[in-house]
Amino acid sequence: MPDWEDREIIEGFNIPGNEEIAFNQLVVQYQERLYWHIRKMVISHDDADDVLQNTMIKVWRSLNSFRAESGLYTWLYRIATNEALSFLKQKKKKAFAPWVDMEEQMFEKMEADPWFNGDEIQLKLQEAILKLPEKQRIVFNMKYFDHMKYEDMSEILGTSVGALKASYHHAVKKIETLLDKD
Amino acid sequence: MNMDHKKPDLQQETLRRNPFKVPEGYFESFSDQLHERIKQEESSKVPVRRIGTTTRWMALAAAMLAAALITTSIIRLSSPRDTEGLLPDLAVLEQMQLLEDDRFLYEILTEEESVELDENEAFVSQAIEYLAINDVEMDLIFE
Repeated sequence: MPDWEDREIIEGFNIPGNEEIAFNQLVVQYQERLYWHIRKMVISHDDADDVLQNTMIKVWRSLNSFRAESGLYTWLYRIATNEALSFLKQKKKKAFAPWVDMEEQMFEKMEADPWFNGDEIQLKLQEAILKLPEKQRIVFNMKYFDHMKYEDMSEILGTSVGALKASYHHAVKKIETLLDKD
Repeated sequence: MNMDHKKPDLQQETLRRNPFKVPEGYFESFSDQLHERIKQEESSKVPVRRIGTTTRWMALAAAMLAAALITTSIIRLSSPRDTEGLLPDLAVLEQMQLLEDDRFLYEILTEEESVELDENEAFVSQAIEYLAINDVEMDLIFE
């Protein structure tokens, strides 16, 4: 199935009776990118699946009010980011043992996770990333793994380019320090 | 300490590789799973009539009344010594059980605008309307 232009997806969704076809096209085109962005934040595949579904359901309910002031992907990314952050917040609230560090728990699960395919160094890197504050973690993942431009990140996160650059710089320094400890 | 151990360099391309994987066929079947879920969520929403403005204050009072009635009835039912006054409370509870089947009164007395509520919200909304319409006695809760 060839990709549709964003404009075609939005126009298609606004044609009565055509919503499902347009939405299905959107899902097929964007599911992987959104999934990997979410997965890097929540780590577990099952959690990423939940969050991606929640994201797409939100998109389904609000696509007809999308104003195209930002690009479609930016808008989708923002929804996915917020859903992942909400999910992590809820998870922390529901934690049976609130005194246990959630990020540490996530790392321990990752070590044993059959859907983690990394080597020892990659595992250390993920451990270091999990120790970053949430926003720094998002910024680092978007820049380091997704090679996203600061201007696009600024639109998605609602933060200035300068603040994002500072955030990324601090994240890199912290990770380098953590990786150096051995 | 292992002297051969190199400090990982963030610029290494190998570090930038995605260390996560997904179950086989996940993305191929995601769209179908998503559509199933959307269908389920949308079919669990029950459209009901919005309560008119003229009965809104009664609806609020009736909601408090219903909560107090249920609490009182439960306390009475679990208390062995007091058998008086059980019949009216049970009758009200029985009436509430019939609410889901009796929509005729709501259609006459409520406005045309409809609101989508999920099943629980729909039931409570209808219960409140029914109690308001049937002028449930206030003194049943003040004993």
